[in-house]
Amino acid sequence: MSYVDETAFLQEVADSDYKYGFVTNFEAETAPKGLSEDTVRFISAKKEEPEWMLEWRLKAYRHWLTLQDKYPRWAHIEYPDIDFQDISYYSAPSKKPKYDSLDEVDPELLDTFERLGISLVEQKMLAGVAVDAVVDSVSVATTFKEELAKEGIIFCSFGEAVQNHPELVQKYMGSVVPYTDNFYASLNSAVFSDGSFCYIPKGVRCPMELSTYFRINAAGTGQFERTLIIADEGSYVSYLEGCTAPRRDENQLHAAVVEIIAHKAAEVKYSTIQNWYPGDREGKGGVFNFVTKRGICDGDHAKISWTQLETGSSITWKYPSVILKGDYSVGEFYSVAFTKGRQQADTGTKMIHLGKNTTSTIISKGISAGHSNNSYRGLVKINKSAANARNFSQCDSLLLGDKCGAHTFPYLEIKHPTAHVEHEATTSKVGEDQIFYCNQRGIGEEQAIKLIVNGFCKEILAVLPMEFAVEARKLLDIELEGSVG
Amino acid sequence: MTTAPTVRTSTPEERFVAAFELHEGHTLNGSNARIQGLRKDAIESFKQLGLPGRKDEAWKYTNIEKALRHEYRVLAGAPLDEVALENLAPFLVPGLEAHRVVLVNGRFVAALSHIGSLPEGVIVTGFAKASEAHADLVNTHFTRYADFTTDVFAALNTAFAQDGLFVYVPKNVIVETPIQVINLTTGDEDVLLNPRSLVVVEQSGSLKLVEGTHTLTEAKIFTNAVSEFFVGPNARVDHYLVEDEGANASRIHNLKAHQEADSYFSTSTITLSGDLVRNDLHFLPDAENCETHLFGLFLGKGRMHIDNHTLVDHAKPNCYSNELFKGVLDDASTGVFNGKVFVRPDAQQTNAYQSNKTIVLTEQAQMFSKPELEIYADDVKCSHGATTGQLEREAIFYLRSRGLTEERARTLLLLAFARDVLEQIKIDALREHLDARIAARFAN
Repeated sequence: MSYVDETAFLQEVADSDYKYGFVTNFEAETAPKGLSEDTVRFISAKKEEPEWMLEWRLKAYRHWLTLQDKYPRWAHIEYPDIDFQDISYYSAPSKKPKYDSLDEVDPELLDTFERLGISLVEQKMLAGVAVDAVVDSVSVATTFKEELAKEGIIFCSFGEAVQNHPELVQKYMGSVVPYTDNFYASLNSAVFSDGSFCYIPKGVRCPMELSTYFRINAAGTGQFERTLIIADEGSYVSYLEGCTAPRRDENQLHAAVVEIIAHKAAEVKYSTIQNWYPGDREGKGGVFNFVTKRGICDGDHAKISWTQLETGSSITWKYPSVILKGDYSVGEFYSVAFTKGRQQADTGTKMIHLGKNTTSTIISKGISAGHSNNSYRGLVKINKSAANARNFSQCDSLLLGDKCGAHTFPYLEIKHPTAHVEHEATTSKVGEDQIFYCNQRGIGEEQAIKLIVNGFCKEILAVLPMEFAVEARKLLDIELEGSVG
Repeated sequence: MTTAPTVRTSTPEERFVAAFELHEGHTLNGSNARIQGLRKDAIESFKQLGLPGRKDEAWKYTNIEKALRHEYRVLAGAPLDEVALENLAPFLVPGLEAHRVVLVNGRFVAALSHIGSLPEGVIVTGFAKASEAHADLVNTHFTRYADFTTDVFAALNTAFAQDGLFVYVPKNVIVETPIQVINLTTGDEDVLLNPRSLVVVEQSGSLKLVEGTHTLTEAKIFTNAVSEFFVGPNARVDHYLVEDEGANASRIHNLKAHQEADSYFSTSTITLSGDLVRNDLHFLPDAENCETHLFGLFLGKGRMHIDNHTLVDHAKPNCYSNELFKGVLDDASTGVFNGKVFVRPDAQQTNAYQSNKTIVLTEQAQMFSKPELEIYADDVKCSHGATTGQLEREAIFYLRSRGLTEERARTLLLLAFARDVLEQIKIDALREHLDARIAARFAN
């Protein structure tokens, strides 16, 4: 193939604009900019929270204040200091109805979902997927709730859980990610607006895939989601989280916290598609995505699996982790991170082996284009108590341009002789021979690159739930497409 | 007037700076004005940089500040102890024919050295002598590769450096016989040594260098060594270092190498004993078609702490680097591996491989491995791998089923594991000597 064509195509890929940039105009009630104890009280009051919740938030806020000189700077990313006083910490759609059916939902919102190609109606038709749509921090529509209730499954907004299931929230909130965990986790604990809560009772296999769509909407509102998933003994749940965000000019801060607790023999599968606005060609205006995600395999034979497709955000700083506390517990991390333009991603996982005979698998695929930087940073820690622990890690990077960077920073800490830890990583570009082979069979260069990139990510896409896999493949193609349809 | 009791609260930094002020201009004096001038810059740089703490990523797993808290006296001036020729016997490699250089406490000792006849133009001598007699050569290269403005231990060494090894191989000269350097430490005092080496191999020259470090004393010795290598165009250097010191000897081995076009550098670092051992190997293949090989074998025992830190900084296109570090950790020893392959934006067609394999034998031993890739060019092939585990039960079972005892089976497997690195040693006498020693150690 001609080298020029390939370069031109990759250039277009790297330059292509974000396809999901639009703003929904529905009235929002927004807190004034700035952060103080009053802001925390305001949020708590708005959400009509009990006293213990406010206390917890205030403790987190006071702890966060002590961290000001410990602003995290270690990641392989560059960005200006964030002015935490220049952000509004709460925004809720002002019409806050509790709909019985979708017909009552603000039509503009439904339209937004439809333009994203994930309409609720369609989702409902497909069945098997319950959607808890979080638009700007408050649950607007919750479907399939009754069906889940029959099984004893609780799936609601975090706010509702605080009201209706305080005993569960108090027991588990902060048990995996304490409010002292890190800078952004503290901030989130103080000002989190809403999020999802999910409880699967003993022995229940959740009959459908649970799904939420996060959207950052009103201008200048940081979104601070908090998700708590509890899988009781022997239960199973597959949880999907996907997001796309409208075009914005100023940077938007997103600092979510996700906590997963898997009890004895429970299994939680958590899948994410992240496609937030990555900023324009110069990297201006994209979402800052600083997320703390962690799960604990609390009982024996528990399993937690993270799968993610990261294509958006100007900065991604995210390390979904698993604490393997129970014996024979299993942790998995499958990730595809695609960066282009001026995007920066520093993402990976932590597998902390505490229990005996624990197993973890890490497969990470990074694709960089344009002027982007894509790093894998992961920790595998085998503690003294973790006899016969087993880990396999594989991190591959694909470079689609000569201005981008791909980096691997694995940490392996082994404190037990019976541990068996393997790590391997490769970095390469799309082979000219591979493209030549495709060309020779009549496949154009653009199609060929799509094919090769899709093949590179296949292992990851294969473990995504079916609907998600379809969307993921489509998303990757669109990301690669540039303006060449 | 009462004298207040002297309370020793000074930090290691303060002690080193005080020692510098004491010796500077007197005992540290040499006749090379440039080196004198650089000392002051270096100590200033040392003050500014300060010793790294646990928060410094490069020292995350090695608490060097704690190790230096022990009150080492900075040794400056002439050597104090005499070493007899027969003391050398245990450290000679049987059958190795070599130009022998002996350094005692970092000072070149002509009486013990046996350099013999060298090809024309080749210089092998002490660094102090060379900085007088070959000032031009030394000044051209000294501190150019070990940057004391960014590396705190290079700064400390540059401030105090007096002597060490100097080797010069002129254009087109091949030194067939290896140069063997025996580094000995002696004396009853707990001291900090700052030996400094400079090795310059000009265009198309070739050199084999075998270094060994050994102790003749039970005193606590901390060696902060810096070796600078310049490898000219199409030149070749084969470097071997055997670290085999007493249980009270700690060492930072700082090797900085600069490679010109079409050059070849291979270094093998074999760590057998010591207390805290930190190897910092930095390579800058600064022109096209360079080949760089890094091999390492570290055998931990007792409470040893072995930290191997490597950086291959690929600055130019079409270079190749290969790295293999293997370790066996016994007792309560700790191993650290941090390898970094850095590919700068212009360094297209780089091929870089990196591998770290460790066997952990006991529950007290631990291993921290961090193989890194940082890549800014797209047309490259880079990969790394790291494994940590114990001996395969199946492999032991297989050997036992053939009638080997458990002991024999384990020894055989460990030796096979170590031989991947030992086989890279191209000097037969050295390889056989190490192989026998390591086999005997595994058998125990």
